[in-house]
Amino acid sequence: MDRRENQSSEGETARILVEFLEVAINSIVFLKGVYPSGAFERRRYMNVVVQRARHPQLRDYIHSTVSTLLPFIQKGLVERVAVIFFNADCIPVERFVFKLVVNQSYGSKLEEADLEFSLRSFLIKLSVSESLTKVLPHDCRWEIIAYFRSLPQASMSKDAELWTPTDTRQWQQPPILIPIKSMSSEPLCLQLYLEHPSSSEPKP
Amino acid sequence: MSLDSSRSANSSGGHRSKRSFNNSTSSNPSNYSNGNNKKKAKPSQETLGAASWGANSVPPSRSSFRKAPFSDFGSYMMEKNRKLHDQFDAEASTSSHSCSGSGKPIFHGISIFVDGFTIPSSQDLRGYMLKHGGRFENYFSRRRVTHIICSNLPDSKLKNLRSFSGGLPVVKPLWILDSVVANKLLSWVPYQLDQLANNQPRLSAFFAPKSSSVSKDVKPEGSFFKGGTSTDAYFSDLGESSEHSRQISRETDNLVNRNSNASLVMEPTSSCGRPFELTMEKPNNIDEDNKRSVRNELQSSPYQSSALATSNFVENHDMTGSPGSTVSGLSNHRHSTIEDPNFVENYFKNSRLHFIGTWRNRYRKRFSSLSNGFKCRSSNIEASAQKTAIVHVDMDCFFVSVVIRDRPELKDKPVAVCHSDNPKGTAEISSANYPARDYGIRAGMFVRDAKARCPHLVIFPYNFEAYEEVADQFYNILHKHCNKVQAVSCDEAFLDFTDSVEDPQILASRIRKEVIETTRCTASAGIAGNMLMARLATRTAKPDGQFFIPPERVDDHLSQLPIKALPGIGHVLEEKLKKHNVWTCGQLRMISKESLQKDFGMKTGEMLWDYSRGVDDRLVGVIQVSKSIGAEVNWGVRFKDVKDSQNFLSNLCKEVSLRLHGCGVQGRTFTLKIKKRRKDAEEPIKYMGCGDCENLSHSTTVPVATDDVEVLQRISKQLFGYFHLDVKEIRGIGLQVSRLESAGSLKQGLERNSLKSWLSSAAASTEEACNNSCTALVRSDTDCEGQGNEILGKICASSVWPSIEMDNNTSNGEAFLNQVSEPPPLCHLDKEVLESLPSEIFSELNDIYSGKLVDLITKSNGKSENISSSLSNSHVQVEGAMKKGHMVLCSDPFLQHEIPVEDKHIAMEDQAVLVSGAESNNVVLPDSGIQKIDLMPLSLSQVDATVLQQLPEEVKADILQLLPAHRKQDFSSNALSGPSKETPLESLGTKTAEYHSVSKGCVSENNLWAGTPLQWVVKFKVSNCLILNVLAEMYYELGSTGTLSAILQRVISLPKHQLDANRDSWDEATYNLCDLLKQYIKRKIEFDIEEIYICFCLLRRFAMKSEVFLQVYTNVFPYLQASVGENYGGNLHMSLKT
Repeated sequence: MDRRENQSSEGETARILVEFLEVAINSIVFLKGVYPSGAFERRRYMNVVVQRARHPQLRDYIHSTVSTLLPFIQKGLVERVAVIFFNADCIPVERFVFKLVVNQSYGSKLEEADLEFSLRSFLIKLSVSESLTKVLPHDCRWEIIAYFRSLPQASMSKDAELWTPTDTRQWQQPPILIPIKSMSSEPLCLQLYLEHPSSSEPKP
Repeated sequence: MSLDSSRSANSSGGHRSKRSFNNSTSSNPSNYSNGNNKKKAKPSQETLGAASWGANSVPPSRSSFRKAPFSDFGSYMMEKNRKLHDQFDAEASTSSHSCSGSGKPIFHGISIFVDGFTIPSSQDLRGYMLKHGGRFENYFSRRRVTHIICSNLPDSKLKNLRSFSGGLPVVKPLWILDSVVANKLLSWVPYQLDQLANNQPRLSAFFAPKSSSVSKDVKPEGSFFKGGTSTDAYFSDLGESSEHSRQISRETDNLVNRNSNASLVMEPTSSCGRPFELTMEKPNNIDEDNKRSVRNELQSSPYQSSALATSNFVENHDMTGSPGSTVSGLSNHRHSTIEDPNFVENYFKNSRLHFIGTWRNRYRKRFSSLSNGFKCRSSNIEASAQKTAIVHVDMDCFFVSVVIRDRPELKDKPVAVCHSDNPKGTAEISSANYPARDYGIRAGMFVRDAKARCPHLVIFPYNFEAYEEVADQFYNILHKHCNKVQAVSCDEAFLDFTDSVEDPQILASRIRKEVIETTRCTASAGIAGNMLMARLATRTAKPDGQFFIPPERVDDHLSQLPIKALPGIGHVLEEKLKKHNVWTCGQLRMISKESLQKDFGMKTGEMLWDYSRGVDDRLVGVIQVSKSIGAEVNWGVRFKDVKDSQNFLSNLCKEVSLRLHGCGVQGRTFTLKIKKRRKDAEEPIKYMGCGDCENLSHSTTVPVATDDVEVLQRISKQLFGYFHLDVKEIRGIGLQVSRLESAGSLKQGLERNSLKSWLSSAAASTEEACNNSCTALVRSDTDCEGQGNEILGKICASSVWPSIEMDNNTSNGEAFLNQVSEPPPLCHLDKEVLESLPSEIFSELNDIYSGKLVDLITKSNGKSENISSSLSNSHVQVEGAMKKGHMVLCSDPFLQHEIPVEDKHIAMEDQAVLVSGAESNNVVLPDSGIQKIDLMPLSLSQVDATVLQQLPEEVKADILQLLPAHRKQDFSSNALSGPSKETPLESLGTKTAEYHSVSKGCVSENNLWAGTPLQWVVKFKVSNCLILNVLAEMYYELGSTGTLSAILQRVISLPKHQLDANRDSWDEATYNLCDLLKQYIKRKIEFDIEEIYICFCLLRRFAMKSEVFLQVYTNVFPYLQASVGENYGGNLHMSLKT
């Protein structure tokens, strides 16, 4: 009984988180100007104006990527979700990293104002953090990568198949971090920070 | 002067048209009229004479000694006035002789001037003045006139009231009448005309029930003028006055309502005691005045001392036929009102439809227990395929028969109920009795048509109190005989007699008999196997009979039945079916279900198919939940400007909100419907009706259901804005709220992206205190209670309960506690039950449960931040989170139990014991291996912060040291969950951090971030170093929840010298600050890198100003980067940007 309760509560956390991630990733993509701004439309989420991709394929990519993370997040397998922008040589130029910890045992009452406020503040902060980011090279690409604590079994769910094990080109030097926003509340600790290649990183 | 004369020209027009009407209705109020004919004709001649005054027939007898012919107009008028006075005086003396004794000079010293059209006419008023010693001025003069009498004022005069009236009181004619009736001079104050400048009848008014009567009364006038003699000014006057009275009535409508109810009883007296003319023509003013007077009465106006006067007002009220005529009634668009019976409350305060609509609520309140009682059972009955017996009971022409139940002489006469009995009216008949129906009178017919068909039709107004009374009696009887009653309406219900042993036919006749005896109204009953057939049987049974359709006769009964008779088939469907050549149910049966569904849609098709075969599987007692709630007004909507419409809209919202409250629901979708006058549509036939309209609507959906007036108003205004309409074109407005949710279970399962909803629902599921109205939850609650009681029973029998894991919905991290092999029968244990136990029983119980009860209680209390002091005082316990291992707490005198726990260990002790037995506890604890930490991230969440807080420092430290360092994340997350818990948990966190760091040996052992207030604060405060003192002060200023960044933020504003330390305290400051920062990093790095980042950005700024901070910064920065690298695999970017 207790466990079920917790799971459902945690399921809720995860669901909210996934939803939030979708919005946040949309915002990041908009922020980085990968696509013309006309490809986005203004929407409202948590009472904050956010941008959402208008192009169905783009939207679908973000949506399906993030929503298939849901079961993994629920199991606590996902450690980080990163939105990575590459240059033409597939070397990361900038990484937006969401580091997340979902408290699986969470079952008590929530500090509701706190949580809502915090999540909203991510979106607000994100929308004004363009100055923190780097200018992207011309023909860049981007992708969403999730860091798992352990690789999920392939049979876990159908959604799992959409996620493929991958390894991206890493920087040779530890990156430089720029924190954007952090929140830690009972069911959910979430941090968003930027990773830039360190200055000593050999230039390609 | 010329203004005056033109005014009187108008008024004379009014008189004349009036008089012609008077003559036709053949009532002249007073006995002087005969001797007066000549005089009466005169003023009109004279006023016309303003244009042709040579027509003056009376020779200037005494004026001849002055200048004759008149030198100018002024002298003519003077002469004329003088003559008129003479005439008046002469007449007064004769009339006071001729009419025997009634002429008490109550108006002595009063001189009135009648302006414009009045009811009664100026001539009648003149007569009163004559008779009662007053004076009557034909022409206005400030010197002679003391009171101006008028019913309505045109705009121009209102705007310039002062110049018009010369500061004299402007009084309504009712003042005269009332004074005459009271036989004394009443204060004119309550009769003062305080009209507002509006000449279009408006809807604001319709929120006051009286208003409708006014406009109804205006109506005949309007049509009268259409006849040809209409004057614009006159018409607008009327409009104004009605407008005016509405505005008054809005304020007084309750009073008036009461008054009107009371007045019905007095009707006979008043109607015979009053000249007919008054009843026909006066209502505006009388209503208005009456209302005013009532109000004044309540305000304990000084002039009201005699009871006579009071009753007089009531009488006056009667003359207007008011109680009924107040009902604004049925609009042309009846279907729309039927669709949505929840009408704007005030608008339909006296409406039949509204009565029916609200009656249901009332019924539910009254009989809720009864109907709930059978609802549960009805589902059981469904299962048993018993032969059902349904009885449909319906009162015969309820609205009429209730009204005439005390008037047996009217029983066989045609009687109808309508809000207005004006024979020319377009008021709609709401109900007619059977004799009237024989004349072809039907509900919904205009009164004038009805009167045309049956001139001697008696029309009664509504009597809602009686309806309510009879309906209650009716249902009392039904509930007495049957426990399964489904109310259809106030006069109609289904009864399920399936369970009953008696013959339903006998029961039905008994019920009918009782209804007749109790209510003196007849009821009909239909008996059949289902609700449909029972209803159809009632049709046959009516009036005053009963009819039984046995199952084998169903087909026969239906085959010839016209389709229209089936419930659910209205005009539209009927037309469609007729196009298919279907006229009777028999024909309908020929059509296959598939083609019906194809033609009419799945649901309707199936319904048609079923109904034509007499199939109806609805259950008696299933109350349909309304899908939408709203209010719509299609009658009398006329706006002058945007403000009007906004006003109206916000009133409408209030009503809708009230309705929502009443039904206990909230809605998410809001639809604003507007009826807009079609281009070149004429004024509707029905007065103030909506006429030919376009229907427009806009709707919006909000994420969170609401019933809040302000939200509704905001939304509706927004919606209204979408229409971009000329408000003058609006003929009807409705606001409907759909997607209803029960207000009790609010925010459950709402919009997905609403964090708030999720939060509250999570809270609801975990918080015991939350009494959810959701039945499922209620049920599970009772389950819990039941189990709890059962368990208690067993315990009281002192049976030894096995050691079982015990759990609770509210417990935090105990998910894994259930891994004990035995099933946990106590997992639903009700905390509240436990808490209310006597202490002895509780401790016994606690023993049986290996002491976990205390744990449970304390924990749940702690979670709800509502610590039950009695429990936590006597049983403060600590849960140490342990893995894989059994532990014996030998030193515990209170609970000497083995606690077998598979995965975790819950150590709990009496506080005293814990203090003394801390050693042993500590000895045991380390034994449990700390392994597989990654799989156990939650163990520390089981530590009850409130308990820990109360432990002695040493014990606390010991316990904390035993906690695996890796679990600090739990601490930190705990620490952030609530301010009240923060302090102890912070200490936990830091202790752990310290423990962690001790092994690394890079941070001092003294935990600066522990304690309340934090240790560093205490330490810094007593320090000799200024900057440290400042920091401590800042901490206090910010309150104990301040983060380091917030404190540093404040430090920014400090002057430079304060930031620096002098040489002797340099080392101390540096050391302490480094220590503080390092510990802070340790504490925060994993979950709040942002905070650390901000702190260091600030520090960097300080470093530029202060050498101490520079040193601190350079000291700590490597440590920071190391920590960041450890946790994030990168370095923090310290730019100057922030």
